Amino acid sequence: MNDDKLTDAFVLVFKTNINTPRQVKSIGVTLDHCPEILKWNVDLADIDRVLRIEATHAHCGPVIELVRRAGYACEELTD
Amino acid sequence: MRLRDANKEALIREKAIELIVNHGFDGLSMHKLAKAAGVSVATIYIYFKDREDLIQQVFTDESRKMTEATLRNFDPDAHFDEGLKRQWINRMNYCLENPYSMTFMEQVKHSPLVERSNVDTRFLQAMQRFVHNAIDRKEIMPLPVEIYWSIAFAPLYQLVKFHIAGKSMPGRPPFVFDEEKINLTLGLVLKALKP
Repeated sequence: MNDDKLTDAFVLVFKTNINTPRQVKSIGVTLDHCPEILKWNVDLADIDRVLRIEATHAHCGPVIELVRRAGYACEELTD
Repeated sequence: MRLRDANKEALIREKAIELIVNHGFDGLSMHKLAKAAGVSVATIYIYFKDREDLIQQVFTDESRKMTEATLRNFDPDAHFDEGLKRQWINRMNYCLENPYSMTFMEQVKHSPLVERSNVDTRFLQAMQRFVHNAIDRKEIMPLPVEIYWSIAFAPLYQLVKFHIAGKSMPGRPPFVFDEEKINLTLGLVLKALKP
């Protein structure tokens, strides 16, 4: 994580209903195929099942689209 | 999308330590932390991947700070008596300036959540060299490291705890670990370690 600070990645944070490690794996296939997504993880320990993405751009729309198309709820986690 | 803010990040780290010290590792969730730090949950995720990542990063950062504080003006080639006194003063100052951090570091030692092996080795190297020099010069007797550590440092940490708590045994007045008491204890410790 510390080395991330040296890069220009944009961090995008979403609330989802990805609930199980198996679902994480399945969405992972989609996310891994996306060249704009540098890193991602789903925090299953959090109530909001937060999907955290480090991307080359700052746009939430395409990610939300991608995750929803895979069958999960996904919205930007806002303040 | 939010930008990184060093002050905010420092505040989040500080509050995370306080939550862990006051409520244990289970008492720390991203939501509770957000509330304590007065930031949004989303903000916390800007800096940290998840709870484990947060704890690991906080630990790495605190050990770096502790290493720097402990090695300040410390010469590993100094005579043992002089070097140990410097260590005591540095460690005590660190504990008094960062009481939460001291407790946190102790909690981490007993937790499987934190990987301790990839931590800064400067501290360990300096302390090893210090002790081996002292043994070679016959300033202290060779001992298993656990026993050495317990004699050399456990009294310090226990008395610092009494000092921070402001009390010791029931019925005793508040304990103040002043210079006189430090020198008294240090003298006994040095005597115990002599060959």
